Amino acid sequence: MGSIRFTEVNKVFGPNSGGAKVLDDINLEIAEKEFVAIVGPSGCGKTTCLRIVAGFEQPTSGSVTLNGRRVTGPAPDRAVVFQHFALFPWKTVRQNLDLGLRNKNLAKPRRDELIAGALHLMNLESHADAFPHQLSGGMQQRVAIARAYVLDPEVLLMDEPFGSLDAQTRVVMQEELVRLARVNPRTVLFVTHSVEEAVYLADRVVIMTRRPGRIKEVLDIRTKRNEEEWNRFQKIEDVMDQESFIHLRTHVWKSLREEKPDNRS
Amino acid sequence: MTRRRQTWVGLATLAMLVGLWFGLTTWSGAVSSGRFPSPADFWSALVQILTRGYAGGELFTHATHSVILVVVGFFVATATGVPLGLWMGWSRRAEAIINPVFLLIRPIPPLAWIPLAILWLGLGDAAKIMVIWFAAFVPSVINSFAGVRTIDRPLIEAARMLGTPRWRFVTEILAPAAAPMIFTGLRLSLQAAWTTLVAAELVGALVGLGLVLNMAQQDIYPGMILVGMLSVGILGFAMTWLLAAAEHRALGWNMAAGSSR
Amino acid sequence: MTDRPLSLRETMASGLAGLGCFLGIWTLLTVSGLVPRQFLPTPLDVTSRFIQLLTTPFAGATLPQHLASSFKRYIVGVCLAASVGVPLGLMMGWFRWLDDIMAPIFEGLRFIAPIAWVPFAALWFGTGIGGPVMIIFAGAFPPCLINAYRGARFVDPRLIEAAQMLGTGHLRTILEILLPASIPSIVVGLRVSAGLGWQSLVGAELIVAASGVGFMMVQAQANVSTPTVMAGMIAIGLAGMLIDVLLRQGEASIRRRRGLSA
Repeated sequence: MGSIRFTEVNKVFGPNSGGAKVLDDINLEIAEKEFVAIVGPSGCGKTTCLRIVAGFEQPTSGSVTLNGRRVTGPAPDRAVVFQHFALFPWKTVRQNLDLGLRNKNLAKPRRDELIAGALHLMNLESHADAFPHQLSGGMQQRVAIARAYVLDPEVLLMDEPFGSLDAQTRVVMQEELVRLARVNPRTVLFVTHSVEEAVYLADRVVIMTRRPGRIKEVLDIRTKRNEEEWNRFQKIEDVMDQESFIHLRTHVWKSLREEKPDNRS
Repeated sequence: MTRRRQTWVGLATLAMLVGLWFGLTTWSGAVSSGRFPSPADFWSALVQILTRGYAGGELFTHATHSVILVVVGFFVATATGVPLGLWMGWSRRAEAIINPVFLLIRPIPPLAWIPLAILWLGLGDAAKIMVIWFAAFVPSVINSFAGVRTIDRPLIEAARMLGTPRWRFVTEILAPAAAPMIFTGLRLSLQAAWTTLVAAELVGALVGLGLVLNMAQQDIYPGMILVGMLSVGILGFAMTWLLAAAEHRALGWNMAAGSSR
Repeated sequence: MTDRPLSLRETMASGLAGLGCFLGIWTLLTVSGLVPRQFLPTPLDVTSRFIQLLTTPFAGATLPQHLASSFKRYIVGVCLAASVGVPLGLMMGWFRWLDDIMAPIFEGLRFIAPIAWVPFAALWFGTGIGGPVMIIFAGAFPPCLINAYRGARFVDPRLIEAAQMLGTGHLRTILEILLPASIPSIVVGLRVSAGLGWQSLVGAELIVAASGVGFMMVQAQANVSTPTVMAGMIAIGLAGMLIDVLLRQGEASIRRRRGLSA
């Protein structure tokens, strides 16, 4: 449950003959409960990949399947965490979490139970009845994550979720996400600009070329992570101090640098 | 300058103006009472319309009649305009079909409907409601439309991702998200409704503040004209204030953008 | 918004369908006798009356002549509003004491609809040009004032500081810093005030005029000449649209020259 497959996915924006080709022959398999990060230069189509899985865009050719069934439109089984949170400003935190559950036609006691669980998970209990504008950026993103988690989705799609947070909050959220992923694992597709973030969080890192985006390389992090037991560290800076981490990170960096226009041979 | 000082300066200006008023009319006689009423003229006109009545009724009668017409017209216009605007904003097909007809109606100034309304419906209330409807309908549609079109796309996508069914989507996502602009439209609609009603009553009516103004002009009764104008102003202010209060209640969550644009 | 955008062909087809329906139902109502033709002339009747009025006089003049009279008053009124409103707005934006004195006055007057000035206009000017001009002024003045004020008040403070550092006096600051910086805002104000001015003109002409399109419509109403009333409405609508389109072009080109997005 929660396996994703991209098969020969192409995406062209605009008219088929003269438009911008954003994705070129993407083939990728994501196993269930795997945490995959996508990195790449701006415009490489990584967000588009995510949006196709989410069902907001359709591939121009090729297909994306979830558990073997083709993805056609957005639905709670592929919950999305947006970069700028996309919380409904007129609803309280609790009401934001409740909407998806009501759409599933769950009974009130069950909904309250699930919401309480999600609030506890994301440390939001004391803010349950606040409005989004009353919360800091970090808290709002927690609400966005809680809103996704409360649905118990097979897949979690995160589009640069920490991109609009300041550096310190970002670090805290990354640690949180790792904790969540270990405690409550599910398939995650995580788009980011930050190489460190990708290497820290993911089981595998997909490196994309610049537009039209192709998969340049897929790096396995998990093996190294388990070997070197990064999990024994609580703090992110301790993990990032490890030689194995630095090695992997530099590898990704070099690969990305080659994608800069003046560096391509 | 602090709020308190501002109030004092405001009052001082007001006092200065009142003084000027006395000075130009009663004391120096520079402005004849045939052109602009002196404070005394104004006062006696006010007393007259409050107690004995003018143009067929007391001030209260005229004012209430006008206000009721505006309120009714405003509600009918917004109850039709806001849903239409929302629909056009949401459905590109609806927009494409309705837009040409709307563009035909839109440039016609509300006041230009008055002669036609009188022709069709006479000098009574129905004609006034018709004109108010045309005046208040357009801003409601336009602003509700804009309200939908300017909704942050991620909010729509989040709602879809959460599997929100159609009716719930309209009431819990679309309407609240468009609410700030809807209220801007309501404000403009109310303004248009009031202005148009007064104008329509000026052109021809059997009762109302516009009629008072009209008669006062024909009778060359500047004091009463001033009474009429001030009544129009004060009632306009009161209705706007009520709407703003309603807006604050409804949009309490909207701290970021602020509720009045 | 979940709708995908329509192609040009689809948009035009839908538009024609909508328009066609509208005109069709209208014509049907009249032709079927449901509504007497006297009160609801067919679209064709109105169009032919419109064309007729281009050369045949009604209520003392042809349609173009009436429009010309209307326009004369309109231009005078709007120019007056702009030439008083813009400088005053800029000064109020710059001299805080002036703002404090004048703002309460305008706040108070704001709620008196321009049309409510008609009785005094009639009293003071009869049916002369002064009447309509006064009403147009009442309508067109506020946007000019407010937008000039906002432009001046919210100028980038650093520009002001630079001017002060360079020892610039008040008048020069207003003319060479505030005014140019406020042009985008002023231009918007002019466009809005032109629109409001046109609307006020119509209202004024219904009551205090002896010529002009509004006057023509009132006369037509009294004579139960519905096609003429409707032709007048069309003329007013078209003229208003033309004014708005021209001003929007002007506004867009100024914004382009300033490097601001449309």
